[in-house]
Amino acid sequence: MYDFTSLLPLIIIGTGAIGLMLLSAYERIQVDTASYVSMGFFGAAFFVQLVVGCGPNNVIFENLFNGMLVSSNFTMIAGLIIFGCGFFTAMSSNTYFKVNSFCTLEFYSILLFGACGMVLLTMAQELITAFIALEIMSLSIYILVGYDRGNISAAEAVLKYLMLGAFAGAFFTLGTALVYGGAGSTKFADISGFVASSGGNTPLLIGGAFLILVALLFKVAAFPFHAWVIDVYDGAAAPVTGFMATALKTAVFAVFANFLALNGDLHSGWIDFLFYISVFTMFGGNLIAIGQNNLKRMLAASGIVHSGYLLIALVAISADHFTGSVIGYYLAAYAAGTLGIFAALSYLGGEGEKRATFDDFKGLAKVRPYSAAAITVFLLSMAGIPPTAGFMGKFYIVTSAISAGQMALAVLGVVSSILSMWYYLRLIIKMYFHDAEESFETVGSPLATTCTFVLVFCVFAIGLYPIVI
Amino acid sequence: MFEYALSVMIFLPIIGGLALLLSPVSQSTARIVGGLLSAIILFIGLELFLTFTATAGMQFVESRPWIESLGISYSLGVDGISLLVLMVGAILFPVVFTVLSARSKGFYANLLIAQGAMLGAICATDMVLFYIFWEIMLLPIFFMIGLYGGPNRLPATLKITIYTIAGSLFMLAGLVYVGVSYQAQFGKWTFDIVQLSALDLGGGWAVGAFLMFMVAFAIKIPLFPFHTWLPDAYTEAPSSTTFVLSAIMAKIGVYGVIRFVVPVFEIEFARFAVLLSLAGVVGMIYCGLAAISQKDMKRLLAFSSASHMGIIAVGVFCMNVQALTGTLFQIAAHATSTGILFLFVGLMEERMGTREIDDLGGIAYRAPIFATFFAIAMLASVGLPGTSGFIGEFLIILGAIKFNAFIGFLAGTTLIIGVCYMLWMFQRVFFEKTNDRTTAFKDLKPTEALSFLPVIILIIVMGIFPQIFLEKIEPAAQQQVAKVFTMTQGQVADTTAPTPGQNNHTN
Repeated sequence: MYDFTSLLPLIIIGTGAIGLMLLSAYERIQVDTASYVSMGFFGAAFFVQLVVGCGPNNVIFENLFNGMLVSSNFTMIAGLIIFGCGFFTAMSSNTYFKVNSFCTLEFYSILLFGACGMVLLTMAQELITAFIALEIMSLSIYILVGYDRGNISAAEAVLKYLMLGAFAGAFFTLGTALVYGGAGSTKFADISGFVASSGGNTPLLIGGAFLILVALLFKVAAFPFHAWVIDVYDGAAAPVTGFMATALKTAVFAVFANFLALNGDLHSGWIDFLFYISVFTMFGGNLIAIGQNNLKRMLAASGIVHSGYLLIALVAISADHFTGSVIGYYLAAYAAGTLGIFAALSYLGGEGEKRATFDDFKGLAKVRPYSAAAITVFLLSMAGIPPTAGFMGKFYIVTSAISAGQMALAVLGVVSSILSMWYYLRLIIKMYFHDAEESFETVGSPLATTCTFVLVFCVFAIGLYPIVI
Repeated sequence: MFEYALSVMIFLPIIGGLALLLSPVSQSTARIVGGLLSAIILFIGLELFLTFTATAGMQFVESRPWIESLGISYSLGVDGISLLVLMVGAILFPVVFTVLSARSKGFYANLLIAQGAMLGAICATDMVLFYIFWEIMLLPIFFMIGLYGGPNRLPATLKITIYTIAGSLFMLAGLVYVGVSYQAQFGKWTFDIVQLSALDLGGGWAVGAFLMFMVAFAIKIPLFPFHTWLPDAYTEAPSSTTFVLSAIMAKIGVYGVIRFVVPVFEIEFARFAVLLSLAGVVGMIYCGLAAISQKDMKRLLAFSSASHMGIIAVGVFCMNVQALTGTLFQIAAHATSTGILFLFVGLMEERMGTREIDDLGGIAYRAPIFATFFAIAMLASVGLPGTSGFIGEFLIILGAIKFNAFIGFLAGTTLIIGVCYMLWMFQRVFFEKTNDRTTAFKDLKPTEALSFLPVIILIIVMGIFPQIFLEKIEPAAQQQVAKVFTMTQGQVADTTAPTPGQNNHTN
């Protein structure tokens, strides 16, 4: 019975997704309505999650459905972030599709399905479940990325993503099979028990875990599996890119942390590997981002860098020193900043996203000072300048790394964020220190604008009241 | 009312500045509002100074927990070390509002936010809180230079921003290291500087963390060889911003070393003291020589400011009471002399549209009051006895000679370079022949003269009655030095008390 209480938000989202899919059979229903309905479902799920997780009757259960799922503070927070991301994405999509008219009702349904898979993934405590959740999530995202069928770059993006994503999925399955062969179980708890008793040096286990890590690293766009991310983010519609960059990353990092944190031996075996991965992810991402002229591509590359920071926290994670709160906090901070920028792009981008490069945003502050200020806040948050959420996130990451004795990694993270200042500042400079060449007129509903300013508030609120679980 | 005086001083200008940015007021209203707010801060500052008692501990303390899981608290306080720095930040701002005009309200708003953040950094006794204000104060500077600066403002803006942020981020890593070490040694989290001074750090990473802190502060001061952003930023920034940079922001760098580096890293500090003070002296000489060859008055003053920051830095690294009190005193003296000179140059540029030394001449015949004020500030800046500059520099050189005769000797003789470029510049700009431009130069208006007058009087009062100020800062300086001395005496005794004739460079 209580199992279902923890799953209630997921059930709500699932119902919403199926309901919307059925509704889209009716011609009379407008796309607008669908966006409000999906916002309603996301809002309801968020609220229920909040009540279930943090309400007076604290029904947190370690294991649900005989150890198949887990529900903890960490998964609760990850779920909240995903629902929030979905809500704000639906909000900015509403405005975005007023000028870009390739949307149908199914868009919002698929958005809900995607969120459903993501939340399931955060709770997964067993490899088959994780795989199913991963695929629900990925399939939805593939469709969302390629939603604009007439757009060549969207088609290119979805093709790249689908091909590579299918490989990653195959790796994951193969890894699952190998781990099952080695440990005799697909449950995280049993695997860690087996590793603890046997030392975990069987080739099957090592190979399987390696393949699973590869699949997960692919999903979070870590080095050396980061090459797809630039084109895919660029090709997808702005709200979809925002959703991918934030919610998807949250879900995958949640399962990543759950998987790694279970067993000290399993983690320590991979620590060197992850150390180098995170260093290369940070610096590789920076190198790519510095050269970009297109805003979405720059944000994609900076997303790689942020994955690198999150990997620092994963390196620092261990069973007795669970840095899940750090990861959760950083993800929330990153989500608020990134979603904010994509919400702003949704209404400033214009028809067919005609404003896309840094130069297109020249002089924005002269014409639309509030929007420019909002974007500045988001950029500063991503760059980690106080008093924004991004600063506290970075502070926690550095603290977790140094507490775990990874001083070198902390310093490298700091160096990487110095490099990243360049491309964040560049946009601010373009917006403020150049004269405007156009009038930045926008049409459509003010929802995306509202969303942007709500997220500005979130960035400061998360930064000034860092409630760490 | 004085329970929350420091919070009011910090947040009144910040909130005022944000309100100005968001509300549709005119440029002149913004100027009046800014002037009024800074006047309120000035009076609170004066009241603080008068009620401050000459003891070593923190006064006007405010403390409440903020992020309890990491022991970060919102704690403010003032002691002898921060008193004069705080005064500089509180007292000098009204002059900026009355003297120079700016193009838009945004400038005044940024100025207010900068003041609030700087006062916050000065008052914070929690390291994380300090860091937050330290970073925030860069943002208004970034916008002021980028939006309202000279023709080459973009490279200058990028240079100062990326340079200082790079330093700050290193400091962040060092700061977290300190916090984590405290947690490891004492079992609880805190970033309170009084408690952190109990730390006993050692090993390679401690040296690394010390260097990270020092890089951040050396960039802000700026200490040789981290000074390369300074000439561009100071020259391209609007004059009032240059004044803020030189008079206050650079001082927070020095203050940060005294407040946060010395108590935590006593041993590393003592180990590097000779090297660091040499960097200070070399910076003095280098920037002094560079100043001689400048053709642009503002750039000349920029180098002169950097050169004088060198001697202030030397005072910190000597680690004795004379040098430390001298430094704290000189922080105020430098702000009232060199800082004010930037405002004078700003006025000249506003009236004549040029600041090339060759284009000027004979201003003293046209504008005697202006020339007198300029001369007094300039003489204070070169350290003429009877002005504020003399007391501070004398104390620092005295301390430097006690610390290491060679460095003391270099510091003392280098001051002559300052006299050279200043007097030569003064001669070319204020005497010699007048030209078309300078014949039209009008003397100070009564309002301008009245706003400069208190500062000029302050220069002379500080020079003749330094005891009023010194007695307030001495107890805290003594306590600070005593603490460092007992901690380091046993371990690196030969660094702190060099034998005559022996060169200590190899430490």
